Amino acid sequence: MSQNMDMKKTSLIKADKITMQFGGLTAVKDFEMELKKGEIVALIGPNGAGKTTAFNMITGVYQPTKGKIILDNKQISGLKPDQITKMGIARTFQNIRLFKDLSVLDNVLIANHLHLKSNFLEAALKLPKYRREEKSMIEKSMYLLEKVGLADLRDEVSTSLPYGNQRRLEIARALATNPKVLLLDEPAAGMNPKETEDLTHFIKHIRDEFDLTIFMIEHHMDVVMGISQRIYVLDYGVTIAHGTPSEIQNNQRVIEAYLGVEEDA
Amino acid sequence: MSFDIFLQHLTNGISLGSLYALIAIGYTMVYGILRLINFAHGDIFMMATYFAFYGVITFGVPWYIVFPIVILLTASLGMTLEVAAYRPLRNAPKISIMISAIGASFLLENLAIVIFGGVNKAFPTPEVFTGVVQLGPVSLQKLTFYIPIITVIFLVALLYLINHTKTGMAMRAVSKDHETAGVMGIDVNKTISITFGIGSALAAIGALMWGLKFPQIYPLMGVMPGLKCFIAAVIGGIGNIKGAVLGGFILGVGEIMLVAFLPSDYTGYRDAFAFILLIVVLLFRPTGIMGEKISEKV
Amino acid sequence: MKRRNLILNGSLVLFILIFLFSADNFFDDYPLRLINLCAIYIILGLSMNLVNGFTGLFSLGQAGFMAVGAYTTALLTMSKATKEATFFMAPLIWPLNSIEIPFYFALIIGGILAAFVAFLIGAPVLRLKGDYLGIATLGFAEIIRIVIVNTQTVTNGALGLKGIPNDANIWWNFGIAALTVAAIVSLINSSFGRALKAIREDEIAAESMGINLFKHKTLSFILGAFFAGIGGGLLAILQGTIAPDMFNFILTFNILLIIVLGGMGSVSGTIISAVAITLGTEYLAVIDKPIDFGFFETPGIPGMRMVVISAILMAVVLFYRHGLMGTKELNWDMLIQKFSRRPLKKGGIES
Repeated sequence: MSQNMDMKKTSLIKADKITMQFGGLTAVKDFEMELKKGEIVALIGPNGAGKTTAFNMITGVYQPTKGKIILDNKQISGLKPDQITKMGIARTFQNIRLFKDLSVLDNVLIANHLHLKSNFLEAALKLPKYRREEKSMIEKSMYLLEKVGLADLRDEVSTSLPYGNQRRLEIARALATNPKVLLLDEPAAGMNPKETEDLTHFIKHIRDEFDLTIFMIEHHMDVVMGISQRIYVLDYGVTIAHGTPSEIQNNQRVIEAYLGVEEDA
Repeated sequence: MSFDIFLQHLTNGISLGSLYALIAIGYTMVYGILRLINFAHGDIFMMATYFAFYGVITFGVPWYIVFPIVILLTASLGMTLEVAAYRPLRNAPKISIMISAIGASFLLENLAIVIFGGVNKAFPTPEVFTGVVQLGPVSLQKLTFYIPIITVIFLVALLYLINHTKTGMAMRAVSKDHETAGVMGIDVNKTISITFGIGSALAAIGALMWGLKFPQIYPLMGVMPGLKCFIAAVIGGIGNIKGAVLGGFILGVGEIMLVAFLPSDYTGYRDAFAFILLIVVLLFRPTGIMGEKISEKV
Repeated sequence: MKRRNLILNGSLVLFILIFLFSADNFFDDYPLRLINLCAIYIILGLSMNLVNGFTGLFSLGQAGFMAVGAYTTALLTMSKATKEATFFMAPLIWPLNSIEIPFYFALIIGGILAAFVAFLIGAPVLRLKGDYLGIATLGFAEIIRIVIVNTQTVTNGALGLKGIPNDANIWWNFGIAALTVAAIVSLINSSFGRALKAIREDEIAAESMGINLFKHKTLSFILGAFFAGIGGGLLAILQGTIAPDMFNFILTFNILLIIVLGGMGSVSGTIISAVAITLGTEYLAVIDKPIDFGFFETPGIPGMRMVVISAILMAVVLFYRHGLMGTKELNWDMLIQKFSRRPLKKGGIES
């Protein structure tokens, strides 16, 4: 395992031995993770290894049983998900969680709400201050929808979109919260090779345009190996490896973990 | 207040608590298996008292024949309710099912008003259940003494059924996961039906004893006991049968003691006690005293 | 297209105004009272729909908030002499016994008090979800009712209040209903409304998008209670008499019926359904008259129509779950399309 700790000075987000227990079951044990600004890092591992649980701890959906998470030198573990989002972490969901009955545009607009400065009276009375904010929210949301190629579908009901578009909409929605760190939970799931390749470019592109740091869970190894600078490998809740793509590809324990799973299946 | 009087109140409380417990079990079993508050449960309880009234008074059949029939009739009413009001909505959003439950409750109440009449009726009280027993310093109505005993008998039978029979195993399996239970060859619909049947039968037993103890019956008599017993189930930890029993006793004893010990100005708040207790429990232990913690999967 | 809608909207408003004017001048007391009741149920339906339909909170506390509004309005508007006559068991406490203010101020105070009660209740209760929330709000409504029964010197207990001055005419009732519609439409179409809908659709996703669940749920709950309080106050004024028994669960049930039938999450659906149900329940009174079933007779039991109403609610939920409008709103395009398509189908001509 190679880990260059001398680059620590630009650390943006760091998980310090976070553990999640459900009753007697330890889903994730002493998970350590550190992302530097601008990095794209992947989290891989067999099904049920605890990857999404790790995401849920970072985003505040679960409170870690032990350990802490630091963003920009501030502790965020213990905060609620909406507070963490405000501090600059956005995410997508593995099992797509769009606001089903609402339009594509509304889905993105909702993610702007956290930055709204008008109060509900100013909003309900449609005062100029609110109108200005609403206008800029719409502009920003439309820009993001153009980015993900969904601008023409702004008035469609979100769940009427094909699967791949729903995943892209989730990304646009996450970007609307103005994140520093973007967590993608299996962004390429259900995509064909062409779409997967597009997605790979797209992830790099948004990283550059929006100045993001990206942490993603992914099973498509071509995506993972293609764009991530480093990879963490989880198995049964324990980090079994950490390193560059080529290091991970040749790591004996990683190979065993994956083969072991194949034997079970 | 002397110790004798305290004991007197305590027995009264335990007796009332037993009745609450019997009804609360129905709520908890249905919640355990369907994650649904069966709002109509209190009205099924009410219907049982009318079945008994018509059997004994109108048709003049002896109570020991009527009562078992009432239990069976009430059980089938509960099963019918499930098929008509809940089964079609099995995959619908939760709020629809809850509204259906409220609708079913109102339908039963209003049907009762129309069919049985809105005025109170006197529940028949056979002689065996009247009179007083002397337990040391405490003199009790026979019924107050019988109710906890009958409750315990049925409770033991229920726990045996759930923990040591195939039907019970099926019920436990379905309450964990409908789909998996179905794949394992369990008839999910039948199991849910049986659960409603058992819950309603217990409500009927509770209703019969309730009628004997408070022999005034009327179409809306199930509303308050229904709400309180649901609260009892929540306090004990919904989905947990022992919890429902515990909750029933806490509520029964608590209510009687409150009325006994508080100045008479405040006895009007008796019915508020259950609700206040509910809110306190939900705040400090949302899953109840014996409930398990459930966390949502993301 | 826009011009057409403007004309149609204008004609609709004009039609309503003419209707209200003729109702005010030519209708008898009973139908006039019914029409006023429609306005009040529109307010009550919208207030409950904001919480249950738009925010997705299963709240059953409507009757409690209405009671707060109704009692506040009644106590602040009744004349000193009426109060003395009404409180014969125990006198009304100071300063309520000497206050008498115009009803519109009383209504606002009633709404604010109901909102304040919602604020107090909301802090503990809104942490609960689904049916737990339902039962807890129902519990609070019951507690409010029990408190009213037991505070003789403030509310006159179970005896209720009589002689509430009937000052709000049809213009007030419909004016306030129109303001309520405008306020709620404006709110739900704003960023805050989108946030509420997001909570309804998916709480976890909403929270992950930075929406403070508790703050927004409380906002919706308080606003809902405010309008429920106003609606309760108007009901007290219209009826002239209130008693604690009025504010039981059946009242909440009636309003629930309105929003389920109209569509949880639809303003226009709620308006249509509020009018339909208010008029429907009144005219269904026919079936409360004696009916002979052969083996037993129902001697004018006030219950038959409730049987029908409960059956309707169940039928709607079972077979027509989204109600009249679902989460959609009525618009002219939809209506015109609907009516222009029919003759084509009848004639069998496809265009």
